Amino acid sequence: MDFFSAMEVSASGLSAQRTRMTVASSNLANASTTRTAAGGPYQRRDVVLASVPMNNATAGVSGVAVQQIVADPTPPRLEYDPGHPDADVDGYVAYPNVNPVEEMVDMITASRAYEAGVTTLSTAVSMAERALGIGR
Amino acid sequence: MPGCVSRIYDAVNRLEVAMSYHRERHSVLASNVAHLDTPGYRPVDLQRAPAPEATQPWLTAPGHQVGPAGGETRTVVDDGGALVGPDGNAVQLERELAKIDANRVRYGTSAELVSRRMALLRYAAGDGNS
Repeated sequence: MDFFSAMEVSASGLSAQRTRMTVASSNLANASTTRTAAGGPYQRRDVVLASVPMNNATAGVSGVAVQQIVADPTPPRLEYDPGHPDADVDGYVAYPNVNPVEEMVDMITASRAYEAGVTTLSTAVSMAERALGIGR
Repeated sequence: MPGCVSRIYDAVNRLEVAMSYHRERHSVLASNVAHLDTPGYRPVDLQRAPAPEATQPWLTAPGHQVGPAGGETRTVVDDGGALVGPDGNAVQLERELAKIDANRVRYGTSAELVSRRMALLRYAAGDGNS
């Protein structure tokens, strides 16, 4: 049990938050995408985080990992636009189920959590440096 | 002054136990911060307590030393905050960061005390000329 395992735990949190940020920006970028490889409009993605045990860490200490990235099953937003090439027979276009406000909030929380992780990481570094300074 | 140096060692050993506790506690608290968004995660904390009398090493001579982490037990305890979010996650960021900072200061205090005792030893070893 050393400072490196604390740093690893913090790093796992940082990469999880970075993934959340990437997924939120992908959702925002595709807020109006009506065509995808799978067919139909883009579906909002969500990140599922899970705790994973860390090597040689104290019991109770666990890292975090992205378990999967799932598609949000809520139905697409329908907008009346008969001129659109992707409009259905009634003239409705299915737009992605992305709510930009929700994505922005997600990005803010992810970025704050990332900052907290960086603070924790640099605290571990400063503690280790403190120990190296003993007897100097 | 016989026993003076061994008292310094004794103090350094105790401080080392404290430092290793704070180091370990930092990992535990870092794990809480990493799990800021993990559904159902409950924050934990590390508690230290003096070991029961039976497991305490007996110091029967002035030169005897207590080894690192000797004489104390550490347990990871559930430290649920008052607020549990809709996803069952009970981590409160401010609380965790405050604890991490306090823990860092305590660690630094112990490190500083060890440094000063080392300086004392150096002073003694250098015949008072350091």
